[in-house]
Amino acid sequence: MRATPDSDSTAFRFLRHHLTRRRLSQLDLRLKLELGLLAALIMGFVFWQVRGAFASVAFQGGAGTVVSALAITWLGLALISGGFVAVRHAHRLRTRPPGPAWLSLPASERALARHLAWDSGVVAAWTVVPGVGIWCAAWGYVPWTWSLALVLPLAFVLLGACWMGTWVGERIAMLGARRAPGVHGLAAVLSESGASARARRRGPARWTSRPGWMALSLKDLRITLRVGSVRRHLATSLLFWILSALAWRLPSPPHMRDLEWVSAFILALLGSAALGEWLVSLSGADPFQTLRSLPVGLGQVWFARAALALAATAGLLTLHAAAASGLTPHALRLFLVWVGGATLAIAALAVNYGVTLFPRADIAQRLLGLSLGLAVAASLMIPLLGWIVLLSAVLHSARRLSRWSRLEEA
Amino acid sequence: MLIIHELTRRYGDLVALDRVSFEVQSGEIVGLLGANGAGKSTLLRTAAGLQAPDEGRVEVEGIDVWNEPQAAKRRLGYAAEEPTFYEELSADEYLAFIAVLRNLDPVSARRRAHELLERLGLTGRRDEPVMQFSHGMRKKLSFVAAVLHRPAVLLCDEALDGFDAAGAFEAKAELGALARDGAAVLFSSHVTETIERVCDRAVLLHAGRVARQLSRSAWGDPAPGPSPLEREFLAVAGAEH
Repeated sequence: MRATPDSDSTAFRFLRHHLTRRRLSQLDLRLKLELGLLAALIMGFVFWQVRGAFASVAFQGGAGTVVSALAITWLGLALISGGFVAVRHAHRLRTRPPGPAWLSLPASERALARHLAWDSGVVAAWTVVPGVGIWCAAWGYVPWTWSLALVLPLAFVLLGACWMGTWVGERIAMLGARRAPGVHGLAAVLSESGASARARRRGPARWTSRPGWMALSLKDLRITLRVGSVRRHLATSLLFWILSALAWRLPSPPHMRDLEWVSAFILALLGSAALGEWLVSLSGADPFQTLRSLPVGLGQVWFARAALALAATAGLLTLHAAAASGLTPHALRLFLVWVGGATLAIAALAVNYGVTLFPRADIAQRLLGLSLGLAVAASLMIPLLGWIVLLSAVLHSARRLSRWSRLEEA
Repeated sequence: MLIIHELTRRYGDLVALDRVSFEVQSGEIVGLLGANGAGKSTLLRTAAGLQAPDEGRVEVEGIDVWNEPQAAKRRLGYAAEEPTFYEELSADEYLAFIAVLRNLDPVSARRRAHELLERLGLTGRRDEPVMQFSHGMRKKLSFVAAVLHRPAVLLCDEALDGFDAAGAFEAKAELGALARDGAAVLFSSHVTETIERVCDRAVLLHAGRVARQLSRSAWGDPAPGPSPLEREFLAVAGAEH
């Protein structure tokens, strides 16, 4: 029996309802609280950044100009959100959208397209977080009735941008799809889903003899280059490190002479934290069954990751030694010892957590974040206490290493 | 030689393996038969060092798998029921990586890997990322990785499940060759016909216990070579045996 458009819509509505419920129920209470806290922080940060700008606009042009500024800022946010959704939707349609083999189901193309667009666009809900921050930042500079009246139009702008993004994404995916005779529209895109990935080939492998740890390190680098989620951590780290080196070129007025090295130090540490996340994600990329059925010991696995961390730290120190040319040799040595020491400690902590909590990279990431957060908080309260917290965490995590050989997948 | 001695493994209240004991001699292929949930995969995973036993021990060539894991795993090959890989590596890169960790001579390992891939019909796909492989191709690759180093003990968990007829025929031939060279092979399957054809002995597991052990004389010699249907398939597939 052929499904009618009405029954299709009902079925997809039912699916969307259950998917939403299931996805929310998968977040445990702690994660929900963490996400809530993160949203509040982002909202607060955006509010803090935009509030000053709106104050200046209100001073110069009054409430009407603030409304215009609010609308323009919001529109910019909606454009970014729509662009992101477009790219995501096109990518998902081209690779393989989540769910069953959609073309095997007797669903109408329209209902299916709407469902896939919803699934790609649902991520844009996060735009509400900075959006609320922007809206709150205008509060007080425009009459409150205007603020309230703006809520609905602003919400529609976001929804419209999301809808537009999915429409553009679908068109982009259709442009790239190979047209088979008699197959059009979304069916043409879905029938080609994953075809470009299937066509991809690697160069011939290099069959050489080398120590086991080196083979593991090289494999880690290869995985980093090929897996987006792993690559992003390393790219973030490198970005922060480059910014930290550029911080030495900041124009520093005489009353802010410490700005250069403080910025360089903080940015370098942020990069080191991202390096730690990269090392943990490498552990998460190891298939348990493959690694554990091979004659590989703890030493090899640990040293493979530590060697990468050592090489990265050496690169960071070289970068700063070259960039901080204005420092006296003594000050430069001191800076390099602090940055190098902190990076190595963070990396050792990440390697220990990644290796000992294998294959649960998610727990390792959380513990790493918690330890680093505690170290930062301790540093802010009492100078140098952060080092004690960090080194204690490294020692504590190292005590777990002996359990490595008895870890199980479950 | 593989010794499984009084092996017990529990998942909470469920006793998946209950004091299981048997041996697989060098040069012998032993089939492990049992219904779903009988404990076959748990036994093979425990023997391969993937999960620790609650009691008992597993010895590979006299080496305890849990006391000296690296020494034991050097002599062990394991083909999993649901194999996992570094999905982004090509089959060739994956096998080259395995060869380094197993400390194999790169030239002879490459030759053997390519020969096995050729026999199993994967030559044309060896430079493709594993993520693009079908279920059967993944099983074949897992089998090649498990036998690449000519292990002294080979553990196969439903290893031929998903193979096409030509691939299954070649894999059985490789199992026979390994056994003739002195390997001890423990091979689990749901399919009694495969066990009858390939194995010298069968161990029947039921509810985590060894229910019975049978030697080949209990079921007799099957007809040598491929069955009539296999012959037809091989002729169509163009395989030369």
